[in-house]
Amino acid sequence: MIISRNWLSQYIDLPDDINELIQTLTFSGIEVESVKEIPALPETVVTAKILSSEKIPGTEHLQLCQVDFGKETLQVVCGAPNCHTNMITVLAKVGTILPTLQIEANRIHGVESEGMLCSEKELGLSENHTGIIELPQDTHIGISVNEIYELPDIILELEITPNRPDLLGYIGIARDLSASLDRPLKLPAITKIGGENVPTIKLILELNDSEKCPRYTARIMDQIRVKESPLWLKNALIKSGFRPINNIVDVTNYVMLETGQPLHAFDYHKLKPIHPEDPYPAIIVRRAKPQEEFIALDGNKYYLDEEDLVIADGQKPSALAGIIGGRDTAVNNETTTIILESANFAPSTIRKTSLKYKISTDSSYHFERHLSPAYLEEVSNRAIELILKVAGGIVCNELYDAYPKPQKPLYLSIRPSRFEELIGYKLDIQLIKKYLIALGFQFIGLGPWQKDAIYEESLPKLLYQEQDKTSDKDLFDNPQMALYFLVPAYRIDITREADIIEELARLDGFDKIPQKKTIHPIMDWHAHYIKRKIEDYFRQVGFYEMINPSFIDPTKLEYFIEDKTEFDKKIIRIRNPQSSNQSAMRTNMLPQLLDNLLFNLNHSERNLKLMEMGKLYWKDSGKHYENLHLTAIMTGFNALDHWKAKNNAIDIYDVKGVIEGLLDQLGIPIDKMKNVHYPWLVEADNLAYFCNNQLCAYVGRLKAKTAEKFGIDITTLKQDIWILEVEVNTLIKLTRNHKTKFSPLPKFPSVIRDISFLINLSIPYAEIVNSIKQVEPYLIKEVNIFDEYRGKGIPNGWHSISLHIILQDCKKTLTEERVEQVIDSVRKMLENTWQIKMR
Amino acid sequence: MINNQLKNIAEQAKIDLKECRNHNDILNIRAKYLGKKSLVNSLYSQLRDLPEEERPSFGKKVNELRNELEKIIEEKEKEIKLQIVNAYDSVQAQDLTLPGVYILPGSLHPLTIIRRRMENIFISLGFQIVEGPDIEDEYHNFDALNTPEDHPSRNLADTFYLDNGYLLRTQTSTVQVRTMESFPPPIYIISPGRCYRNDKPDPSHSPVFHQVEGLVVDKGISMADLKDTLQFFAQAMFGPEVKSRIRPHFFPFTEPSAEMDISCVSCQGKGCRICKNSGWLELAGAGMVDPNVLDMMHIDNQIYSGYAFGIGIERIAMLKYNIPDMRILYENDVRMLRQFSRELI
Ligand SMILES: [Zn+2]
Repeated sequence: MIISRNWLSQYIDLPDDINELIQTLTFSGIEVESVKEIPALPETVVTAKILSSEKIPGTEHLQLCQVDFGKETLQVVCGAPNCHTNMITVLAKVGTILPTLQIEANRIHGVESEGMLCSEKELGLSENHTGIIELPQDTHIGISVNEIYELPDIILELEITPNRPDLLGYIGIARDLSASLDRPLKLPAITKIGGENVPTIKLILELNDSEKCPRYTARIMDQIRVKESPLWLKNALIKSGFRPINNIVDVTNYVMLETGQPLHAFDYHKLKPIHPEDPYPAIIVRRAKPQEEFIALDGNKYYLDEEDLVIADGQKPSALAGIIGGRDTAVNNETTTIILESANFAPSTIRKTSLKYKISTDSSYHFERHLSPAYLEEVSNRAIELILKVAGGIVCNELYDAYPKPQKPLYLSIRPSRFEELIGYKLDIQLIKKYLIALGFQFIGLGPWQKDAIYEESLPKLLYQEQDKTSDKDLFDNPQMALYFLVPAYRIDITREADIIEELARLDGFDKIPQKKTIHPIMDWHAHYIKRKIEDYFRQVGFYEMINPSFIDPTKLEYFIEDKTEFDKKIIRIRNPQSSNQSAMRTNMLPQLLDNLLFNLNHSERNLKLMEMGKLYWKDSGKHYENLHLTAIMTGFNALDHWKAKNNAIDIYDVKGVIEGLLDQLGIPIDKMKNVHYPWLVEADNLAYFCNNQLCAYVGRLKAKTAEKFGIDITTLKQDIWILEVEVNTLIKLTRNHKTKFSPLPKFPSVIRDISFLINLSIPYAEIVNSIKQVEPYLIKEVNIFDEYRGKGIPNGWHSISLHIILQDCKKTLTEERVEQVIDSVRKMLENTWQIKMR
Repeated sequence: MINNQLKNIAEQAKIDLKECRNHNDILNIRAKYLGKKSLVNSLYSQLRDLPEEERPSFGKKVNELRNELEKIIEEKEKEIKLQIVNAYDSVQAQDLTLPGVYILPGSLHPLTIIRRRMENIFISLGFQIVEGPDIEDEYHNFDALNTPEDHPSRNLADTFYLDNGYLLRTQTSTVQVRTMESFPPPIYIISPGRCYRNDKPDPSHSPVFHQVEGLVVDKGISMADLKDTLQFFAQAMFGPEVKSRIRPHFFPFTEPSAEMDISCVSCQGKGCRICKNSGWLELAGAGMVDPNVLDMMHIDNQIYSGYAFGIGIERIAMLKYNIPDMRILYENDVRMLRQFSRELI
């Protein structure tokens, strides 16, 4: 809904600060979608009269106008199609600065122009740019337009949630604000309107479907003059996004904006009676007949069915109920007698019909959201009052009112104790009353709570009448004690205690809801996820998890130390061990895993991948340390027997693959690899991985001599035993600040090129890849080896290498020439650096 | 003569096309007959050498030849494409009973599986996981947990001691103490981890074992909350049909203290060997945190209350997977572990 601050302020005193108003609306649940300020226009923009206008020869539609703005007459060139003599319009004098342009004296087609005649758009009033503004003839000349347009003003676009049809009008919004701002609501005084008995002008009203139309009222007015609306009315509509049409239609729209209730006016004399001989026309609220024709206001023709509700005269539909009026009964400038419809329609029927014919109007939008039928007479009176003001005429007869089942009053009881349970704090009983009364609820009294809503004409006697002198505190010691309220009929959305509690919480402010618990984040989620990921990774690549005690035989640890005296200082001994082979805390899991290996080898398991993730313990200068570590062993074949795949004995590349796959999964880049020198690992058949100079993992082949200490005889086993050590804590540390973020996908395709060459065996692959990438770091995204061959046909000491080089430019499509150029540079670099031979 | 030449070209093209087997062959033939340096193109160049009057009819004939060649090459191309598509859409006889290829994963240890399941269950209830050191001092393991100086659990026969008064924690309650030292209530945590007691290994004991301990400290926490939590845990772990009960017991750090039983998962409470005919299985030790413990942690025991529980992971694993002897869990026999490779975690 689009509202003007100035219009809204007719019903309530608003805060001067617009931000305060926006804040109040937002926190009472009415979202402000946009705010548009219409600043005051400069004093040099004034009303003026076009004394004469004549076409400038040689131009399409330029006119030279003599414009009088009271003090003097200016010569202005105007290109608007509606510009004509005697027109009262708006003149921006030379020197005026408007929102989008500055007015300067200039020559147009050789003619001097001393100002500009303005459209609404040029003044920033609306988007209307079809012509210059035409003001009524009785407008004073030479006055500031600010006076006429009530400037400055602020236009707010509000999002009204579907549960609040009562907020679809200025009064509803003002009422809600009056509750949240604690300021009185100023409603327009509506006089009770009677009617003059005009025997010749009467109406037959029939309501045939009270399900789809719970109430229909009509009022006849005669001797009215349909014409252009006065400025105040037109301006009000324009600011709320409506286009003025004529005084009658404008009043119906104005009252809909004010009250939320759509109205419709028919031309009385265009409605037919049921029988040609009947003296009065008819209004029949009924279902459409199958294939019944209806021509809407906009000229579109529809063929209706029996599901549609129409407002018909004696012969044919004159409106699609609650959605759109008919062309043939519309009010126009010749109309002298009107029927003003103020009716209520069921949301479901409006929604279905509007969807079926794809007609969505302001009226259908309002009715779809379920309006109350209780206020139709008041709304009708308000409209008639305004019509009398702007179109004259007389009111014929009393209100025609078909209201078979009046909306029953609804009483609800609400427990303050329940508010506290549901919202989390105590709300003072006086505040409860104040908020609800401001919203239009009527306080009835106190009594024991009742779960169900009470739909009765009046309430049965309450246990307690209002006792203002009794302290509420004492009374409400009983949690079942409740306050009874009569719900205003326009609050169709409120049917339960919880609905009222929501209103109270909203008006008192969600910021008052206390934070009850501050649960401290204690858990290290990152470590939790990484540990699980490592466990899952090893399981998925075929490892079995071992769980061994933390105690160990210290003599077995000695096979895995480099310095005996250091070792003695490091080891933590148990004062009261169960046996000497469980007398120390483990500083290494290898002895236990080798025991596990032997145990399983003895059970005819030949291909084994074992791992344990657990703590290692040691001491240093009297302090104890515990560190999470992972040790794994691999031996035998890499995969199970399979008829299709060649089954290879595990070699160092398989073992490397486990670690490199893990580091890749964790997103840890390897920035250094080097050999380690441990007495239990075969020299040069091992490798350690580093990132940021921290050891992440190392792998290596166990020496036969060490295996022997654990009863494993390599000569009979005839399998390599591979060891993998992973520094779990380091991996957790290195990944702690990793954040997965989406990056925009490359718009340009990547290109793959293969190159194959012979190169000396002494040159490490890693070095080759690095130097290739450095040839064009921006373009070369990846270098992958897909074949390696040595032996037959290859010179001794050399091997053949085949690479995929993947190139991509993030900013443009790579041309064939550019790719060739890059590959050529790579080739030259390789030839110059390592004397490779291309294949 | 010229007619013959044209005819020969057409004949030769037909022979060549017969030999065509794939897309590449077609490309070659197209180049040979219709390309820049093709036979047909060379005919066009002959046009210049002809007398003026013969040119139109010769030109017409060459055009006809070119159209003819275009047509038959195109037909052949279509035919070859159809052959490729047909071949693609059919398959040679094969033995589909030969096994497919897939990677065989290993297995996590059943104790890890159970630990992770327990963590998941308690996380779903809003608990956080906190871990702490295995090597503890007497204060965190005993004093802060209201265990008197002369309490038998402090004996060498029960607790493993290290040097300088350090020891191996006998329960993960030590983590609870450390959490209460650092964080104010409300506290909702579980601490999984290794514990150590000087028990000789037998079917139901091990000097090293695993526990998940829980601690809740908040306003208005009652024994009913403890019962709800343990009941939820038992059903989430063993199934909705499992019943639970608590009965009085003694622990130094809880008051009242209780032990929790569940209806026997093997006989559904009817009585069997596993439950020693009682129909019930002991599952957890629990109770309301002793006011003294809260006091030691400087938590106002008049405002706050809490509960704690401890559940053995080995015990749960043995009951859930029907493992008769705790020592089986520590053998690390791959044949045993393989049975858990399909378990859901
Ligand atoms: Zn049983």
